[in-house]
Amino acid sequence: MLLAALLALSLQQPFATEAPSIMGALTQETVEIREDFAGTELVLYGATRGLTIQDEIVVVLRGPEQDLRVMRKTRSFGIWVNGSAREFAAVPSYYAIASSRPLDEIASDEALVRNRIGLDHLLTRPGETPVADMLDYRKAVERAGAREDLYASAPRGVEVLDGGLFRATLALPPSTPVGNYTAEVYLFRDGRPVASRSTSLRVEKAGLERLIYEFAHGLPMLYGLFCVVLAMLAGWAGAAIFARR
Amino acid sequence: MQIYLPIAELSVNIFLLLGLGAGVGFLSGMFGVGGGFLMTPLLIFIGVPPAVAVSTEANQIVASSASGALAHWRRRTLDPKMGLLLLAGGSAGSIFGVQLFTFLRSLGQIDLIISLCYVGFLGTIGGLMMYESARTIMRSRQPEARREGGMGKRKKRGWIDTLPFKMRFPRSGLYISVIPPVAIGFFVGTLAAIMGVGGGFVMVPAMIYILRMPTNVVVGTSLFQILFVTALTTFLQATQNQTVDIVLAMLLTVGGVIGAQFGARAGRHVKAEELRALLAAMVLAVCLKLGWDLVVTPADMFEVLPVGMEGE
Repeated sequence: MLLAALLALSLQQPFATEAPSIMGALTQETVEIREDFAGTELVLYGATRGLTIQDEIVVVLRGPEQDLRVMRKTRSFGIWVNGSAREFAAVPSYYAIASSRPLDEIASDEALVRNRIGLDHLLTRPGETPVADMLDYRKAVERAGAREDLYASAPRGVEVLDGGLFRATLALPPSTPVGNYTAEVYLFRDGRPVASRSTSLRVEKAGLERLIYEFAHGLPMLYGLFCVVLAMLAGWAGAAIFARR
Repeated sequence: MQIYLPIAELSVNIFLLLGLGAGVGFLSGMFGVGGGFLMTPLLIFIGVPPAVAVSTEANQIVASSASGALAHWRRRTLDPKMGLLLLAGGSAGSIFGVQLFTFLRSLGQIDLIISLCYVGFLGTIGGLMMYESARTIMRSRQPEARREGGMGKRKKRGWIDTLPFKMRFPRSGLYISVIPPVAIGFFVGTLAAIMGVGGGFVMVPAMIYILRMPTNVVVGTSLFQILFVTALTTFLQATQNQTVDIVLAMLLTVGGVIGAQFGARAGRHVKAEELRALLAAMVLAVCLKLGWDLVVTPADMFEVLPVGMEGE
C-alpha cells in the first residue's frame, strides 16, 4: 500500500515548474521493545515532486525530548568530582540525520539552525549568542549521545532513486528511549528548505517488558513486595533442592 | 543470547548475568557475605545505571541470603535474639539510607558517593581483616605456649561492657548492652541502601571484634539480619525510586543460588583464618580498582545526567 502510494505520486510526471513537494513514510509506525530487543533498523521511503538535479534531501528522526544537566569534572584532593553544571532544556534523546550530501554543502549554518537540523545545531537556539564555555558543554552532550549511538549522522545516507524516489536507513540502538518520535523529510533548493513533511513513530515497550514496567511504576508497593517474596522463594527453593542431596 | 531488562532499559547477554550470579554466589556462600560489594560495582561496570544496580542488588541479596540463613537456622548456628536486635537497627538505617540516596541522586553526586563509600569501607575493613588474619596465621605456626597471650586478651573488659541496657544472649553466651548491636545494625542498614550491599563485610568483623560473638554463630546471624534488611531496602527502593529490576535480579539469583550452595560446601574445608585472609584480599582488590578509577583522568571530562531524577 505504501509502495503503491509512492508509485502513484511518482507517476504524476513532474514538470520543473511545478511547486516542489516531498513526502516520506517509515516501514514501521511503532517499534516494540520486547525481551529480545537489541536495537533495530528502520527504513524511510520517500517521494518528491519537482526534484531537480541541484536539489538535496535531508531526513531527520528525532526522539522524545528531555532536560539534561551536564557537569564538568574537576580534580579536588586528587579525585575527580562533578563540578559546575549547565542545564539544557528539551534536548532530543535520540537524533539521527541522513542527507543526500554533506550538510555543509547543502545549506548555510543559519538555515540549518532555524530548522534545528544537524547535530551541531541540536542545542543551539535561534538568536542565541554562544558563550565559549557553553560550547564545551554542548560538545559533551553530543559525545554522550554518540557513545550510545543515540546521535548519528550519515552525510550520504539518503539514497536518491529513479523517478524522484528516495530511501534512508536509520538505526535504533539497544538503548533507544521509549516515546513519540518524529521523522522529518526536507527538500533543499539553493540552500533553503522548499518543502518538508513529517510523520510520527512510536517506540514502546511491549509484551512482558511492558507488563513489568507498568507494574513497577503503576503499583510500586505491590511490585516491591512481589520482588521480595519472589527472591525469598527462589532462595528457599535453592536451599530445598540442595538439602535433599 | 541478549535480553532486554525492563527497568534498567538495557540489552545484556543472558549468560553473562547467569555467570556473574554464579561466580559471586559461590564466593558469598563460602564467606557468608552477601556478595553485593562485588556485584554492584560489576553491574555498574557493564552499564546498569547505578541507582538500578544498587536497588536490584539488594533484591538479589534477599534470595542469596535466604538460602544461606535457612541452612544456618537448621544447623542452629544462628543467634535469633541478636539477629532481631541488629534487624531493629538495620530497619531504621535502611529507611534513612534510601532517603539519603534519593537526596544525593538529585545533587548528581551519587556515583561519586557510592565509589567513595566503597573505597573507604572496603579499604578499612579489608586492611584490618588482612592484618588480623595474617597475625593469627603466623601465630598458629608458632609453639602452643605463645598462643595463651592471645586468648587472655579476649577476657579484657572494654568500653562496651560499661554501657547500660544489658541483655543475655544464650546462643552466643554473651551478656552485653543492646546499644552496640542496634548501632551496628543501623550503620549496616544505611550502607545496604546506599551501596547495594548486604553489609556482611562490615557486620561479620563487627560481631567478632566488637560484640565478641563466637565465630560459629557469626555468619548465620549476619545472614539473618542481611536477609530482612535487604528485603526492606528492596521494598523501599521499589516504592520510592522504582529502580528494582526484577528480571535482572532473578537472572542473578538463579546463578547465585546455585553458586552459593557449592560455595558453602567449599567453605567448610578451609580454615577460618585462611578464609578471612582470602576475603580480605578480595575486598582490598575491589577497593583498589574503585580507588584507581577515582584518581585516573577520566576519558570524558563531562558527565551528562538526566534532570528530573526519574531517569526515564
